[in-house]
Amino acid sequence: MALENLRTLYQQVILEHYKKPRHRGKTDPVDRHQRGHNPSCGDTIDLTVKLNASGDRIEDVKFEGEGCAIAMASADLMADAMRGKSLTEALEMVQSFQNMMKGQAEFPRELRKLNVMQGVAQFPVRIKCATLTWHTLKAAIEQSSEPSAGFISNEASPEGVL
Amino acid sequence: MIATQHRPLAEDLRLDFPILGQEVNGKPLVYLDNAATSQKPLAVLDALQNYYRRDNSNVHRGVHTLSARATDAYEGARDKVAAFINAASRQEIVFTRNATEAINLVAYAWGQANLKTGDEIILSVMEHHSNLIPWQLLAQRTGAVLKFVELTDTQEFDLDHYRSLISEKTKLVSVVHVSNTLGCINPVEEIVAIAHAHGARVLVDACQSAPHMPLNVQAMDCDWLVASGHKMCGPTGIGFLYGKLDLLRAMPPFLGGGEMIADVFFDHATYADLPHKFEAGTPAIAEAIALGAAVDYLNGIGMDKIHAYEEELTAYLFQRLAEIPELKIYGPQPKADGSGRASLAAFTAGEVHPHDLSTILDQAGVAIRAGHHCTQPLHRLLNAQSTARASLYFYNTRAEIDTFIASLKEAIAFFGGLFG
Repeated sequence: MALENLRTLYQQVILEHYKKPRHRGKTDPVDRHQRGHNPSCGDTIDLTVKLNASGDRIEDVKFEGEGCAIAMASADLMADAMRGKSLTEALEMVQSFQNMMKGQAEFPRELRKLNVMQGVAQFPVRIKCATLTWHTLKAAIEQSSEPSAGFISNEASPEGVL
Repeated sequence: MIATQHRPLAEDLRLDFPILGQEVNGKPLVYLDNAATSQKPLAVLDALQNYYRRDNSNVHRGVHTLSARATDAYEGARDKVAAFINAASRQEIVFTRNATEAINLVAYAWGQANLKTGDEIILSVMEHHSNLIPWQLLAQRTGAVLKFVELTDTQEFDLDHYRSLISEKTKLVSVVHVSNTLGCINPVEEIVAIAHAHGARVLVDACQSAPHMPLNVQAMDCDWLVASGHKMCGPTGIGFLYGKLDLLRAMPPFLGGGEMIADVFFDHATYADLPHKFEAGTPAIAEAIALGAAVDYLNGIGMDKIHAYEEELTAYLFQRLAEIPELKIYGPQPKADGSGRASLAAFTAGEVHPHDLSTILDQAGVAIRAGHHCTQPLHRLLNAQSTARASLYFYNTRAEIDTFIASLKEAIAFFGGLFG
């Protein structure tokens, strides 16, 4: 088995976040709520977001849902990284993550923990696992404060991956 | 251990499948995703190539030599398919794009004309989406009601529950012959007899049985049967609908266009006789001919032999899978000789997600499927968001099962330390 390849994909940090997620659950209060899925494989994510009083900064992100190690670790890492970010910064990070999945960029020093996901770029069929949570967060941020009832499909996005 | 006295079927036949000779991620390919699609033997690849090199022409139109050749080959393929499932007449075979299109054909042409509000359609909970959504759409259009046969304790078709559901309101029963997820082989002859006793019609989805066992539609007495060519060594883009002659005759056309007509005027038309009434437009000629070649190839081996060899593989597969305590396998256990279920296993491996398993196995050259296999409601019922599935065909070997099991153990160990 090509263990080096697998170690690139399944970095220890990723496995730890999969095994012991720190941000599973639901925020209190729920200022934004969005569900996302990858219909062809069945992965789902249920994101809740708590905003500050002025509604322009993320105080907390939590997730529920079912998916593979890549999808769940990506959600946990994202939730970690989003705390305290303005909505504008958050959307920029979503874009940066997408670029990273195309192998085009990586996160700066203060967000370097997210770079453990870089290995996914070498496994094209798994990119949608990693991007599911980011795509869902983007929809949560861009929606009005009205919580959305339906699922947003990560596979239907025009970019293909995000 | 299962004794294998004779030379395994697969050893000679593998050479007919050039695709199987390659390496994937530096390892010999072990292709165990046959329930999704089978590989194609040289005879089928040659049939496609030869058709386009020598005979390419439109069918049923020209008087010239090439058109005659193309037509003969296309209609010859129909004869082969008819004989393959023991249809009473070649007119009972309609070429379609795949099984999905064949089911939609029946749902539109027969369903629309014959169902009304309050009529009931019985399906099972294990149906592939292709044998569910067309009926949901039909129910929405007509007001008909869908009922679902549940599973027994061994995760098989519950005949008793089926008997309790069926009534004079039942107009149609549409069931899968062999489940692509559970691997159970449904008692279609009994299902048909019970339905007919209540005046209901029966459609059998034979996608997972036609490639693996002899079929006899006359003995089965089903009203329609559908299958996809690409799962039985044929190319993609071709499948077929079998229907009883009188039933197909009574059905209005599905798609309109060329090929399906007898006489056309500006304001109306009369339609061609069977089977052409249901084959509007230029058909998938090369694909149909190649499906005929696939049928010849399968017959050359013998469907009985294929089935018997796959039972040996099933016995060995399940014997080896039993070594891994983390696995939860869905569907019935095979009997000791490997009979009683299809040569496939859908499973979960504790906390290791099927997608992760599939990626890790792919690194070892082993191709399995991960996901819901187009049976999402069944997965929901089984409380599994997704499963991993290894599905075998006659060209797979015991050595490949060994590779699969070894990789599976490694994959579980890779993640296992984490959860131990």
